[in-house]
Amino acid sequence: MAEFHKLIANVRDALEHHGAPAHNGTHHHAAAVPTAEAARRSELASQFARELHALGGHFLGILSSKETVAGVLEVAAGLNARSVAVGAGIANDPAPIVDALERASIGVIRTAAITDDPARAELRDKLARCDFAVVEADYAIAATGTLAMLATPERPGSLTLLPPVNVILVDAGRILTDLAAVLAAIGAASIASHRLALVTGPSRTADIEKRIVVGVHGPREVHVAVVWHGDD
Amino acid sequence: MRLLPIFKRAAKKDFFTASQAAVADTGLRRKLENATGRHLEHVAATRAEFPPYDSERDTSRRIKEDAIARLDDLLIQLKENLEANGCRVFVAADAAEARKYIVDLARERGARRVVKGKSMATEEIELNAALAAAGCEVVETDLGEYIVQLRGERPSHIITPAIHLSKEDVGELFHEKLDIPYTAEPEALTAVARERLREVFLAADMGVTGANFAIAETGTLVLVENEGNGRMSSTLPEIFVAVMGIEKVIPSMADLSHFLEVLARTATGQKLTTYTNFVSGPRRAGEADGPREVHVVMIDNGRSAMLADPVLREALYCLRCGACLNVCPIYRRVGGHAYGSTYPGPIGSIVSPSLFGGATATLPFASTLCGACREICPVKIDIPRILLHLRWKETADKDGTGKGDPALPTPIWPRSAHRARSGLKAFSRLAKHPLTMRVMGRIAALALWPFARRGYVRWMPPPFGNWTSVRDFPVPRLRRWGKARNRPRGVAANNGTQA
Repeated sequence: MAEFHKLIANVRDALEHHGAPAHNGTHHHAAAVPTAEAARRSELASQFARELHALGGHFLGILSSKETVAGVLEVAAGLNARSVAVGAGIANDPAPIVDALERASIGVIRTAAITDDPARAELRDKLARCDFAVVEADYAIAATGTLAMLATPERPGSLTLLPPVNVILVDAGRILTDLAAVLAAIGAASIASHRLALVTGPSRTADIEKRIVVGVHGPREVHVAVVWHGDD
Repeated sequence: MRLLPIFKRAAKKDFFTASQAAVADTGLRRKLENATGRHLEHVAATRAEFPPYDSERDTSRRIKEDAIARLDDLLIQLKENLEANGCRVFVAADAAEARKYIVDLARERGARRVVKGKSMATEEIELNAALAAAGCEVVETDLGEYIVQLRGERPSHIITPAIHLSKEDVGELFHEKLDIPYTAEPEALTAVARERLREVFLAADMGVTGANFAIAETGTLVLVENEGNGRMSSTLPEIFVAVMGIEKVIPSMADLSHFLEVLARTATGQKLTTYTNFVSGPRRAGEADGPREVHVVMIDNGRSAMLADPVLREALYCLRCGACLNVCPIYRRVGGHAYGSTYPGPIGSIVSPSLFGGATATLPFASTLCGACREICPVKIDIPRILLHLRWKETADKDGTGKGDPALPTPIWPRSAHRARSGLKAFSRLAKHPLTMRVMGRIAALALWPFARRGYVRWMPPPFGNWTSVRDFPVPRLRRWGKARNRPRGVAANNGTQA
């Protein structure tokens, strides 16, 4: 405690209380062109898709709930998957995906609140060994191809960290223009009480000769489906 | 010609000695040119497609100016909010205090296996050696850091620690240390590191990283990275420690997005890094992952002294993006190790004397003042100005005793530097008399005439031969008297105002 006061006293001395230059921290967005909501959403989804593609991610498409299930099964078939982790949904119920995977005789790991250490270790082990994980993102950023994942007991952060491949669903209404918009939508209170990860494409490095290599510690493949409820 | 001072109390390897060897290493120069060149291409491409880049830089700078000007209040707010979120905060006046806190913590909790995410602050306090001495097994998990750790070296770049190595160097290293067949394929080498480090992550007791930003308003640490090493280190082990310099604090979440818009674009030429991790506290009830304990170690270690100097204060705006290293003609020649500091390159030359002292006091002289660092800096730090300020502090006769800043070691200037200085003094006297200047110029031009071959002087007798041994000298044109005066006035007037 004394150290902290000493530090603050040091800092105050150093500053000698010079007037702070004011800054304007607010964001200025160009006034939105009035368009139909559906047109705006599809524009943002396609911008997101372009950015994701540039990052080396795979865009599964703008899909209905049914098509999303088919998309997940297709990824499972491509990977010859035997075990898949599925996180709890946000705007979309993952039950149809779980059913379809089980019908295809693929083992499903459901994540739920955990209170004891052995269960925690067991889940971690399963997530590290599964073939891929399906999880819904809280938001997506169109400008950068980013997915925002807030960690909760039902949707632990490890889902998008330990498995080698991710299939991430995002609701069409939750793709926002830029980073500032997504941080504002999540809100400071949620960030202060949950861990948040912004995921922009597959894990990568450029540490050897500045050459980009994908798949270092996190997932090497990121597949994204935008779920559209329009005509369901 | 030796133009850098030697310092009495300096360590054996000052920049001058170390850079001599680095300059002679043509292989190193090739690797550095290769990697830094690729970085600059990426950055130019990303900047070009983001028109608000420059205004975001200005905004980021204004936020830093404001944050550093009220650093005291923001640190109090940050500490309160981190503690409210369940973190434990320790304030370290210097590196030794920070090391002791972390080593004691590891000892008390019985943590023996420590994983490190990429962090310059922990390099600065030399944490690895302290933890190893206490019996911990410390593993660096950023690929570049892992490579230099296996080689028993220190990073040579702020964000690309193994920039001084080729893929063949890494291939041989992995073959030797990890017992795998030799390969120079970056993909294969990365896959090996992934497999080895995954086991280490899953078994770790403690994770240690730095922090890129600390948000006072919410008590949140922000870690920016591409590989997932920071996310692993802050998610899997039961104990998580973040080490941050006190200058990392920013006021609010709204401020953060401005920094994130410029940071990756400048550091790596990405729009956003692969992972941006927000950690506000330990895991909540029911959560399957996340640390049980979060400790935040705030380090001063010379920063408040930098704050007290109105010119040097600007150096605290630095985001540690590493771009100034890649554009610096000196860094590109000698690499990071020659600087003998955790922080090399232009930014290292201005922060190292305050953070480390000793031989790093010579680093402000290791620059051509070309200004490329200022041009690329995401928060527009005027590095050349600070370099000049530090040179002045080091050499100016402030108290009439003939010595510079008493807090810094006394420089001993080599004779060649004295010769250069008296030469420049003579020149400045001459330059004040245009007529004499022109007469002398004519004499010099006439004197060069006998050596000219097809417009160039390729050889001159000693001592001028040093000049012509590395470059040809164009023969000055003998103009008629008064021609210089006939230049249109507008041209001359414009020179000063065009940026």
